[in-house]
Amino acid sequence: MTVLSVLRTAAGPARLAITHNSQQVAKMSDHRAMNIIPSRFQWNKFKDMLHLYFVGAAIPLLAGIGITNMMVGPATLSEIPEGYVPREDEYYKSPITRFLVRNFTRNEQMEYEKKMQYIWETEHKRQLRLIEKRVKKLMAERGDYKAWYYTPHIARKYQRIVRKETEELMERRPAA
Amino acid sequence: MTDPYSDNLFTKFCTSVFNTIDKPVTWFRERVVVPNRKEYPWYHRSYNRVPTIDQCYTDDPVCFFEANEQWIRDRQVDREIVNILRQRWRDCAFYEGVDAPVKCVELQKISEDAETNFFIKYGDLSAYANVKDCYMKQKHRMLWERRHGPVGTGMKTEQ
Repeated sequence: MTVLSVLRTAAGPARLAITHNSQQVAKMSDHRAMNIIPSRFQWNKFKDMLHLYFVGAAIPLLAGIGITNMMVGPATLSEIPEGYVPREDEYYKSPITRFLVRNFTRNEQMEYEKKMQYIWETEHKRQLRLIEKRVKKLMAERGDYKAWYYTPHIARKYQRIVRKETEELMERRPAA
Repeated sequence: MTDPYSDNLFTKFCTSVFNTIDKPVTWFRERVVVPNRKEYPWYHRSYNRVPTIDQCYTDDPVCFFEANEQWIRDRQVDREIVNILRQRWRDCAFYEGVDAPVKCVELQKISEDAETNFFIKYGDLSAYANVKDCYMKQKHRMLWERRHGPVGTGMKTEQ
């Protein structure tokens, strides 16, 4: 950062030269004059963004990665010892990946087992639902069980009266 | 006998130009970086064998899932095997150049046999294939062979 502010103070005279040596001058009411120069906005914005992305992001990340590789270093590939179950992060080479796997990632074997448990559970539910569907279909076809598709007729006497009246009506109007 | 490439002035010049970058970097790595590190291991994941699709019941989706995962891993292994055999043939052909059709015949035969077998097992299944599709492909091939004879001898028409 100090490098860049030194550059800024060093460029001071050059900047004054740019602003004060232009041909166009606007003489306003006061004794001072405004020098009209082309806009330096894009150039300044570019330098600002470049500075941010390098000093804020690229240099710290590269320094971190470099120091990790110099201090800790990658692992060496070796055979799994007899009867030893490695930790999840011992399956990866880079120390940064190992750190992320140790602290932030899900366990791959656990997710596999969870997926199998989910499949097993939903398969049980599915079989039960298939049986329900089949039973309902048979009840609809045969109509021999009281659970679905059964309306209890309790008003049989009213049904008889209505039927008798309908028959008498039909007799009186033969060709209706 | 000395290496014919080393007592050549031009070669020495080229080597020293290379060493202007190589020597400092190598020194830094061997004197500063490597002693500061500790050796520690990492391992390749080893998967247990599970029942294959022909040993699963039809109404067992968990068994199917495990067989499918195993089939995907085995397919990847077979792809790498075919790639390695092909690469061996290609390296031989590159080394021999014009003599390749004569000198690399064994490697060519091995590579082509591996490709054929890979295609028999995994070829022409879609990108979304699973282990059941592969198993059915085998079944259909065996049926076809039962009706028409070995693959490659043509279909028998109705007589």
